[in-house]
Amino acid sequence: MALLDTVSGADESIPNGRILRLVLLPVGFAAATIALWQITCQMLSVPPVLLPPPFAVWTVLRDNFAILFDETLPTLSESILSFAIASVLGVAIAVALTFSAWIREALYPGIVVFQLIPKIALAPLFIVWLGVGETTSVVVAVFIAFFPIVVSTATGLVSAKPEVLRLCESLTASEWQAFRMVRFPYALPYIFAGMKVGVTMAMIGVVVGEFITAQRGLGYVIMFAAGASETATVLAAIVLLCIIGLGLYGIVGIAELLVLRWFGGEAPISGVI
Amino acid sequence: MPAVVRQGIVPALGPNLRRARPIILPIATTAAALLLWQLAAVQLHIPTVLLPTPIEVAREMWRAFPILMDQTWPTALDTLLAFAAAAVLGIGLAIVITYSPLMRDTLYPNLVFFQLVPKVALAPLFVIWLGFGSPARVAFATFISFFPVVISGAVGFAGTDQAVLRLCRSLTASEWRSFLLVRFPFALPAIFSGLKVAMTMAVVGVIIGEFISSQAGLGHYIMNAGSRLETADVFAALGALSVLGIVLYGAVALAEFGVRRVYGRR
Repeated sequence: MALLDTVSGADESIPNGRILRLVLLPVGFAAATIALWQITCQMLSVPPVLLPPPFAVWTVLRDNFAILFDETLPTLSESILSFAIASVLGVAIAVALTFSAWIREALYPGIVVFQLIPKIALAPLFIVWLGVGETTSVVVAVFIAFFPIVVSTATGLVSAKPEVLRLCESLTASEWQAFRMVRFPYALPYIFAGMKVGVTMAMIGVVVGEFITAQRGLGYVIMFAAGASETATVLAAIVLLCIIGLGLYGIVGIAELLVLRWFGGEAPISGVI
Repeated sequence: MPAVVRQGIVPALGPNLRRARPIILPIATTAAALLLWQLAAVQLHIPTVLLPTPIEVAREMWRAFPILMDQTWPTALDTLLAFAAAAVLGIGLAIVITYSPLMRDTLYPNLVFFQLVPKVALAPLFVIWLGFGSPARVAFATFISFFPVVISGAVGFAGTDQAVLRLCRSLTASEWRSFLLVRFPFALPAIFSGLKVAMTMAVVGVIIGEFISSQAGLGHYIMNAGSRLETADVFAALGALSVLGIVLYGAVALAEFGVRRVYGRR
């Protein structure tokens, strides 16, 4: 999933014209798509229930911004909360897995199996347990964001170079010192790769939770507006969700850059899942 | 990922026992968890609505087995259709991106953008566009499972060893032959890692589709049983769904094994 960073423009030295091209082309394409969408809607007079023109979406966003913003806050706070819980739990359990071969062999296959099954299907069960409301959305989101973080962190913690670990041993470093100074920094790119997947998963969990349970939040707005056939409102809420999603992903990305620079470590890796 | 399981220092046990440990331990853990669940549910008198015992779930599975099978088919069929569409479209677009720098620079950032935003939010739109039937679910599942395939395919094709490609060119291999003999085999691991993600995403997409708009399928069954507070039914359907997820993922993993064997192991 997080295979994002590697493809485009693998050139090391990027001349100015190329930067312009790398920015202008995709932005131009997106703008052209939106323009085409607007024109098609007007020329063919597509019913706004099926596909409102972008301008109508913008009008909804502008006119109802206060209301939409009110619904954005719970979604945002639930996403952040569930992502934070999933990260702490995920990294902690991965550390436990690395320190004990018994725990690892007992639990790891189970965790991998959970990675494979569609966990989102458990959402209705959480409604039975926790009722209808914010708690359910958060728990669903934690539950699905947690697994990629564990698996990725566990992979990272065993990826430290054996030579370096042997060096630690011969220098009589304690297990804890070796962990703090070698294993953990080595694992950081993996931890962040897992967290990047985790943050998108947390958003998915919150939105699905809100689809099926909530009385608040953007997921609720989307379901409600779709039920009322107000497609422009649906799209407006989706725009806000996209902004939240990109913002949260961006924060994780910036945190990764800062932390990796702090440890003087390697460039971000891509693609663990 | 199983490499993680294998590494690490194993304390002295009998050599046979030590080799069997990675198999025995997870099974034992699962058995212990089920036992604990059963005991806890019985001893603490947890109401069946909240948490049915594993035995009740098993009984429910046995009783509802024909119904569950009936519900599994639509879900499996939708998932396979969506996966196939996502795989073909995804690999196709990845090839286009690989051969055209213009297309790559234009499309790739937008693809990454879509990879990062919560696409599930678009599910109700697909219902508006395509109605309550299976096409809406297949289209939605294709939509969310398509992006991982394109991106990992593009990464894989771009990661081909340049020296080998140069060799092909100096041996005057046609573009098509060097694609077939070099780029594609080189990209296989990345393509399959994308396909594995796509398969799990396809199941998720179909299930979400069934949650919000369906008259059949396991997702519909789960929602329905959940709202009737028949929790044992929910668990039974979740069991069926897990089996489906693992089987479909296993099929992709098996296909990877087969294809990579054809191309010689790497």
